[in-house]
Amino acid sequence: MVAICVLTSIYVHSSQVVNGAMCNTGWCVVLHGVVALRLRICAGIQKVAGPSPYLHVFQERCIMADPVPNFFFLYYYFLDNLELLEDILRERPQEADGIDSVIVVDNVPQVGPERLEKLKNVIHKIFSKFGKITNDYYPEFDGKTKGYIFLEYASPANALEAVKNADGYKLDKQHTFRVNVFTDFDKYITISDEWETPEKQPFKDFGNVRHWLEDSDCRDQYSVIFESGERTGIYANDVKEPITVEERARWTETYVRWSPKGTYLATFHQRGIALWGGEKFKQIQRFSHQGVQLIDFSPCERYLVTFSPLMDTKDDPQAIIIWDVLTGQKKRGFHCESSAHWPIFKWSQDGKFFARMTQDTLSIYETPSMGLLDKKSLKITGIKDFSWSPGDNIIAFWVPEDKDIPARVTLMQLPSRQEIRVRNLFNVIDCKLHWQKNGDYLCVKVDRTPKGTQGVVTNFEIFRMREKQVPVDVVEMKEGIIAFAWEPNGSKFAVLHGESPRINVSFYHVKNNGKIELIKMFDKQQANSIFWSPQGQFLVLAGLRSMNGALAFVDTSDCTMMNIAEHYMASDVEWDPTGRYVVTSVSWWSHKVDNAFWLWTFQGRLLQKNNKDHFCQLLWRPRPPTLLTTEQIKMIKKDLKKYSKIFEQKDRLSQSKASKELVDKRRSMLEDYHKYREESQRIYQEQKPLRLELRGGVDTDELDSNIDDWEEETIEFFVTEEIIPLGE
Amino acid sequence: MKPILLQGHERSITQIKYNREGDLLFSVAKDTVVNVWYSVNGERLGTYSGHTGAVWCVDVDWDTKSVLTGSADNTCRLWDCETGKMLGQLKTSSAVRTCGFDFSGNIIMFSTDKQMGYQCYLNFFDLRDPSQMEDNNPYMKVPCSESKITSAVWGPLGEFIVAGHENGEINQFSAKSGEIMKKVKEHTKQINDIQSSIDLTMVITASKDNSAKLFDSTTLDHIKTFKTERPVNSAAISPIMDHVVMGGGQEAMEVTTTSTRIGKFEARFFHAAFEEEFGRVKGHFGPINCVAFHPDGKSYSSGGEDGYVRIHYFDPQYFEFEFEV
Repeated sequence: MVAICVLTSIYVHSSQVVNGAMCNTGWCVVLHGVVALRLRICAGIQKVAGPSPYLHVFQERCIMADPVPNFFFLYYYFLDNLELLEDILRERPQEADGIDSVIVVDNVPQVGPERLEKLKNVIHKIFSKFGKITNDYYPEFDGKTKGYIFLEYASPANALEAVKNADGYKLDKQHTFRVNVFTDFDKYITISDEWETPEKQPFKDFGNVRHWLEDSDCRDQYSVIFESGERTGIYANDVKEPITVEERARWTETYVRWSPKGTYLATFHQRGIALWGGEKFKQIQRFSHQGVQLIDFSPCERYLVTFSPLMDTKDDPQAIIIWDVLTGQKKRGFHCESSAHWPIFKWSQDGKFFARMTQDTLSIYETPSMGLLDKKSLKITGIKDFSWSPGDNIIAFWVPEDKDIPARVTLMQLPSRQEIRVRNLFNVIDCKLHWQKNGDYLCVKVDRTPKGTQGVVTNFEIFRMREKQVPVDVVEMKEGIIAFAWEPNGSKFAVLHGESPRINVSFYHVKNNGKIELIKMFDKQQANSIFWSPQGQFLVLAGLRSMNGALAFVDTSDCTMMNIAEHYMASDVEWDPTGRYVVTSVSWWSHKVDNAFWLWTFQGRLLQKNNKDHFCQLLWRPRPPTLLTTEQIKMIKKDLKKYSKIFEQKDRLSQSKASKELVDKRRSMLEDYHKYREESQRIYQEQKPLRLELRGGVDTDELDSNIDDWEEETIEFFVTEEIIPLGE
Repeated sequence: MKPILLQGHERSITQIKYNREGDLLFSVAKDTVVNVWYSVNGERLGTYSGHTGAVWCVDVDWDTKSVLTGSADNTCRLWDCETGKMLGQLKTSSAVRTCGFDFSGNIIMFSTDKQMGYQCYLNFFDLRDPSQMEDNNPYMKVPCSESKITSAVWGPLGEFIVAGHENGEINQFSAKSGEIMKKVKEHTKQINDIQSSIDLTMVITASKDNSAKLFDSTTLDHIKTFKTERPVNSAAISPIMDHVVMGGGQEAMEVTTTSTRIGKFEARFFHAAFEEEFGRVKGHFGPINCVAFHPDGKSYSSGGEDGYVRIHYFDPQYFEFEFEV
């Protein structure tokens, strides 16, 4: 009995250190002269429980009689201190008796003898998964088990496996197992009583990582890769011309990515990913992942997911690695069995969860543990696609029809896994999930073949997420759908439909009462993509690549075409994060000539044509969400007139300054040039005698300078004459 | 003003040149024909026939007495300008790429291509010594082993040649010793054309690297750069304004795969001091291979891959236009 108690108290001690948990230590008094020294901090240590402690030792010895292999180290204490134990020393176990194979499980339910057998069965079922259990021990007190047990495995590897997998196992609401290897007690015993302040890590100062937001003119930044990837630059956007912030050769080996809030710039290298930031774009973090090809940030910027097709091994999953951005530590590796679309892991909007879909399963993991949520994946037979709401921790997924069971779109709340809405659909070929940026609406684009027909009909099933029971309304489209896009921060959506060359664009509005109203349709559009301004209201319809780069700038508040333009062979359209500017570009990756990016206002006024040699990619630096409250934003909107006056004045000033600068620059260029010309004319005049000599005295400096030598020759040109009689 | 279209060639124009007075315009093309036109109305005066291969270059001496042409038929020929009679023929072992009379009209130079195992040579003949022509014995023959000459002009007073090379280099070759006096490399790709200003003090280079550059002919100091998005095939300096004109476009090889819109086959006018573009002239439906200003600066001509030569007279607005300074 005593021996066990000591163990327990030590264990308590250790768990105190590790987990901060407390439990009863009333029994540890027995060996106060020996072990208790190390346990002083445990509560109740001075309570003497019985008059003859050593008796208990022998009792305990008897209970544990054979083979008693594992608790040998106690004997060392006894050896040092207790001569009384001579008689049992003969049976002293050997060191190699396999203490490494023993685990201690804490937080086991405390049961009486009547339920002990049942508990043993349950425990056996859970823990025999990790190997053969050769011995177990359930300490009891007052006819009840004490809530911790000892299990011995056939090999230390099993014990380690059990610790790895069963630690934190939730048996039920009250009982979450804490599993430790028995030998860890050595480790915990040696923990000093004195608090040691952890060594201070030198703080690496990267300056203000949001420095760019403090620009007095609120310029947004963008990254540009050019010279076929040889050079990468960061520029601040200005109406006049881009202002270089940073430019480096071979900054990245393939392309770059901004983190979702714009704090970091990620560059790709054969050996991994580097993150850059701060005022001077210093390196902030590195993640070593050989052959990395794809990355994805969690929306909170705390985690980075990297993918590399190399390096994966069976035992050590390394195809996909999740990293902690702040510490640079590898949090977890995953295999990548299926060739799914990137991102394979989709993050919830707050970065608390991430999910992955495999055959018939949806696995949701939680941060920071990176473990499966509730230790279980969801089994969803036939799951085809899923996506997180960008506004809440809700997952939408759909499963196709299976014999008599209709296709199903399900909305599931997490972490509760509660299904908040299920919609059954029939004759479905395909579904696409489109969330509105705030998560206010979900549009499921459903391609169906209604019974008795051949053609494909598309339905937009609009889920209104903010209303009770999530009502659904349907818009049916008879024509083929080319593109669909929600208005960010709004309740409108735009659809491109029809067949080339008869492509129409329609704008719909989801009203509060759920009615979906067609606001406007424009026919015969040259477009294959829709780009909404991040602030909503304005959008660009673009006919990229094969459609020659036709652009239409639309204001959806009154549905007017503000401007129709063209950027020949444009391959990309990128709105700046504020919705003030749009960039269209021809990337060298898709088209080999005329690589350039053009800057437009949101109304479609062309501001700049930036030709860059072998321009590849332009990415705007995202902005973090605003710190202003809705009231403050309202106030600003109210006082907009006041502000616009200030800004207009500023604009005028900078414009006149710019034209003055240009004129000054030209003037100095012209002066320099004329100076040079005068000098060369002077030399030219000096050489006149030499020229006359070379041309036999004939002055040819001016066209008519040797006019006296000219021979007049009259040349008659034959002109045809035709007489056209006029009337009678 | 409506341009005058000269239809006298069946294949792409390789070079055009005005004589000193500007009343005549010479044009050569890949179709072996050498034409001469009245620049005032575009009437053809005559042809110099004899070449059996594409003609790459043409030049006329200062008093418009003789015409020099070089061809891929491995000959450089001297013609009597007025009668069209061939005065002499210099056989070479590879195509003649570029040729020219010096300031006095007494010395001719021409360069040959690096071709079929033959090296590129720069040859100098003195016309005052008829034996040199008769015996095909140049008074100087300079080998250019590194990179072949793609375009060349005489410097002022006939002292040296300014030659552009395939690798973008520009070299100054002494006409007396043949040694390289100066060497610059401002272009990254082949020099397609070099032309001098009317007083020969400056040269403008047109390069495949999408730019044209202005240099001082004597010092080879780089003065200005004019950038475009397409290879520049030819550039010329206005004799009366601070203007340059550039012609080019997508390379002929790639043209079939691109529409005329994307090729940008326009003549483009830049201000020489500001390096800023101020005008474009459309018309050719293929790349422009050569441009030339009339010596009076009131008109210019362009010859294109499409086989046409176009003479453009400037509108009055051209002379009135000024940058805000």
